[in-house]
Amino acid sequence: MEALLNLWQATGIANFTFPALIMIAVGCLLLYLAIARNFEPLLLLPIGFGAILTNIPVAGLSDPGGLLYYVYHIGIDTGVFPLLIFMGVGALTDFSALIANPRMMLLGAAAQFGIFATLFGAILLNYVPGFEFSLQDASAIAIIGGADGPTAIFLASKLAPDLLGAIAVAAYSYMALVPIIQPPIMRALTTPEERKIQMPQLRTVSKKEKIIFPLMVLGLTMLFLPAATPLVGMFCLGNLMRESGVVDRLSNSAQNEIINITTIFLGLAVGSKLAADKFLTVETLGILALGALAFSIGTASGVFMAKGLNKFSKSPINPLVGAAGVSAVPMAARVVNKVGLENNPHNFLLMHAMGPNVAGVLGSAVAAGILLALVG
Amino acid sequence: MDIGQLLATAANLMVTGMVGVFVFLSLLISAIIFMSKIMSRFEEPVVEAARTPSIKAQGVPSAHVAAISAAIAQYKNKQKS
Repeated sequence: MEALLNLWQATGIANFTFPALIMIAVGCLLLYLAIARNFEPLLLLPIGFGAILTNIPVAGLSDPGGLLYYVYHIGIDTGVFPLLIFMGVGALTDFSALIANPRMMLLGAAAQFGIFATLFGAILLNYVPGFEFSLQDASAIAIIGGADGPTAIFLASKLAPDLLGAIAVAAYSYMALVPIIQPPIMRALTTPEERKIQMPQLRTVSKKEKIIFPLMVLGLTMLFLPAATPLVGMFCLGNLMRESGVVDRLSNSAQNEIINITTIFLGLAVGSKLAADKFLTVETLGILALGALAFSIGTASGVFMAKGLNKFSKSPINPLVGAAGVSAVPMAARVVNKVGLENNPHNFLLMHAMGPNVAGVLGSAVAAGILLALVG
Repeated sequence: MDIGQLLATAANLMVTGMVGVFVFLSLLISAIIFMSKIMSRFEEPVVEAARTPSIKAQGVPSAHVAAISAAIAQYKNKQKS
């Protein structure tokens, strides 16, 4: 009888707590979004599964000695996983649209206003009872507006590890929601005439320019913002491997095997941060609300900047491409293309939107570097 | 720090951050434009240099080359039909 009782004590049923059950339900919700709705499945699936694993009673997967504990400490605590992913993203990114029309960089810069405005908003939220965001917390939350998963995880792991789970989930959920969040804002801020503007074809960019570009970006970062070199440096390494054309094997590994393996473990480790005591707080609700705000402000400021540029520029600029200034590559650029085609079926904006889109990646890495330097 | 002070710091961060991002990316813009100019200067002479001597060395003006190749093409077409 004693043995039976002990066995009962070792079952999950006897040890479940209500918050843990809710977190398992959250994990299942993420799995549903990934599998049935196809929302960023590459990340939400491992994150959702990690959330379930970490909340299993008795097993202690996230306690010292557990698998998820080690994965988190090796990969995220050290900042290694997001940086490896950034190398892969660099190897996947083609900068020719940006090199051909460098002014698009300004749109990528303007969209970062979403980050800094949200930082202010997060502090403002402290007036609501129940919220107590420090400047570090606020910066880590605000970076969701950069619409760049690895950057958000990197900064959150450095500035606010306690909020990492909620921040990563918010960042990836909103990136999946880009096609729903952005179009209404884009339509509200532009006239149909503006949306019909066609842009001149981009010039071809030589191979030499593409090889020098990552080196130049690294050089400038080195000189002016060394705090951003972990992110920018890995990004440039990936891009140089791609464009140099002499290390195709390495470039292919960075684009495929390395980024895939890292994604699995990054997702699991982020999921392991979805423990009930950290996630089921009012702060999570605040983070979700601020994330949406950050995205919307980023989109709007990108569009406004594009409108301004269009006034002063000799060659026309369709204000819609400004919305691609929030990174979320290549989703944001596709959304711009789609909204453009609605108003003018012959207007293909995809290549033009890729410029601000990749500029947005650089912009949010730079913004993360600035936050690290000033707040970290 | 009370919230008012935090807000002031956040506002300060907002301004410095945006200025920082814009300055950095503007620097990058000018660097790209500068690089593209230099690159285009490097590329063109190479192409010119490769073409001109080969034609001059044979002593045949390009108009003649064009006329001769057109004649050959015409002849070949006739042979076919």
